[in-house]
Amino acid sequence: MPGLKPMVDDGGPAPREIGGRCTRRPRVSRSRLYLHRFLRNRGAVVGLVALALLILFALFGSLLTTYTYLDVDFANVSSSPSPEHPFGTNGAGNDTYAQAVHGLQRSLVIALVVSAATTTIAAFVGAAAGYVGGVTEKIILKVVHFLLVVPSFLILALVSQQAHGGWPVLVIVLTLFGWMFNARVVWSLTTSLREREFVRAARYMGVGPIRIVVRHLIPNLGSLLVVSFTLGVVATVQAETALSFVGFGVQPPDVSLGTMLSDGATTVSSAPWLFFVPACLVTLLTVSVALIGDGLRDALDPSSRSAGRA
Amino acid sequence: MIVLATNLTYFLANLFLDPRANYLQARPPRSPDQIDRALAQYDLSPRTSLVVRWWRWISDIALHWNWGYSPFGESVNEEIAFRIGVSAQLVLLSMILSTTIGIALAVYTAARQYRFADRFTQTLSLIALNIPVPVASLAVVFVAIALNRSSGSTLFFVAGSSSPTVTGFWPLVVDRLQHLALPTVVLTIVSYAGYHLLQRSVLLDEVNADHVRMARAKGLTRSEAIRRHGLRTSLIPVATSIAFTVPALFTGAVLTETIFGWEGMGRYFVTTISKNDVHGVVAVAAFGALMTAIGALLADLAVVALDPRVRVNGS
Repeated sequence: MPGLKPMVDDGGPAPREIGGRCTRRPRVSRSRLYLHRFLRNRGAVVGLVALALLILFALFGSLLTTYTYLDVDFANVSSSPSPEHPFGTNGAGNDTYAQAVHGLQRSLVIALVVSAATTTIAAFVGAAAGYVGGVTEKIILKVVHFLLVVPSFLILALVSQQAHGGWPVLVIVLTLFGWMFNARVVWSLTTSLREREFVRAARYMGVGPIRIVVRHLIPNLGSLLVVSFTLGVVATVQAETALSFVGFGVQPPDVSLGTMLSDGATTVSSAPWLFFVPACLVTLLTVSVALIGDGLRDALDPSSRSAGRA
Repeated sequence: MIVLATNLTYFLANLFLDPRANYLQARPPRSPDQIDRALAQYDLSPRTSLVVRWWRWISDIALHWNWGYSPFGESVNEEIAFRIGVSAQLVLLSMILSTTIGIALAVYTAARQYRFADRFTQTLSLIALNIPVPVASLAVVFVAIALNRSSGSTLFFVAGSSSPTVTGFWPLVVDRLQHLALPTVVLTIVSYAGYHLLQRSVLLDEVNADHVRMARAKGLTRSEAIRRHGLRTSLIPVATSIAFTVPALFTGAVLTETIFGWEGMGRYFVTTISKNDVHGVVAVAAFGALMTAIGALLADLAVVALDPRVRVNGS
């Protein structure tokens, strides 16, 4: 689990082992501790398993079928699930199974890239604003608040409509309008961190502002960033689905879960498999990631007791 | 802020939408000059400089409250005046329902922490919170169609906001409700869960506060102490969060209106973008920003009403 790397949450350089003076309990490394707390959360484990299955499906699902998402089977148009087409075919004769594999891939890639990018931007902008202070802080906050007021879904639709099917453009647009809220959270936490002794000590030792932000502030926000990354994945999947559903996101012939949903929407009663396949996949995806995020928050938050005692 | 956001959208819309595209498919084909002349009367022609167009547009709003025209000459004012009412009933109703349901569920489950009811509703809310709106809407449509079939009559209408042929007061009310039910249910499903989970966690923090423990010591039961003493203070963060969900509700309305065929603001938003209607898009953006501002204002008012430490006049 890359998300479970040890993150310090009480300042100072990260001690890998807790406490030299041993208490009654055996010594547990920090990563082990987090892992234990995470695994004790039943929902999180279910989410992790579901997500792993989804990723395996997206990566290797195409090996189980001879069709690709663009292939058209004229003999079977709008046919219900059969051994030949396990999830049926759509009105144009595309194999729904192959489309689902490809669409899930597309949605996953978009979600992961966008969420990683927004979290990174939010971390740097928020921490920089909080640490530098003064005019820079004011300007950054003004921009953030302004972008929060702008109805971002509308701008997203406006800009991505011109993307003409290029999903990389969609990624860029979603990133540009997705980092503000997290940046604000990071900023408010940084304002309290910047007064802490270890930051002051670093400053008095002559460490430059960029190095302080990268080496001292951002690692201390680690747990928050990990959680906001998972929540960002959920939000991006939802946004991508919504945009593609109304026709402003991924454009045909490319396929994502959102476009599959909008195809299936018109045939809910006549060809329900066209709707149920993407609907189940996208719901499974968002719910599993949300469960993981929940479990991570409980595992990484030192004050949380819901995961049981360490 | 609203003014600034609206102006930004104006420039963005002009940058990305090309009203000339609408006339390219027209038969008989028109020359570029004809197209530009047709657009010029609505101030949409790219021949005029953007600054000039912008100045005319904004002074028309400031002086005559005229939000401009679509590339085909429909007045944005008229379109919006009709659609705001349609959207408002949908969004307001689901907002009231989802806050009530969410907070009521939170109070109920906070008193029964970690029991079955709590675990069960929490899982349910987590799923509801993360279901994409199209999936939720289509699932509801599916259920409604099944219900209609099994009952043999049309209990719920899946499309439109009202039937044109119904007359009389009570039939009209019933008809409205039949149309309103499904989209409202969808919007409520996707938005109640956030309030439930937030309110629950805040309430559980509050349970250990001194004043609630004091109330317990006086002999109130746990649920009574939560209701009478814990709820008021813990409503404050929830009230502020409602303000920030207004844009999300608006996005949700875009999708539900598309699916259920309501001619509201959300549907208008989709059509304006696909028809390159610059003025319409900007008006929708202004409406969205206004909604956010109203939400923030309402949240502030709620905080003032709930928190006795906040005094408006500072005395």
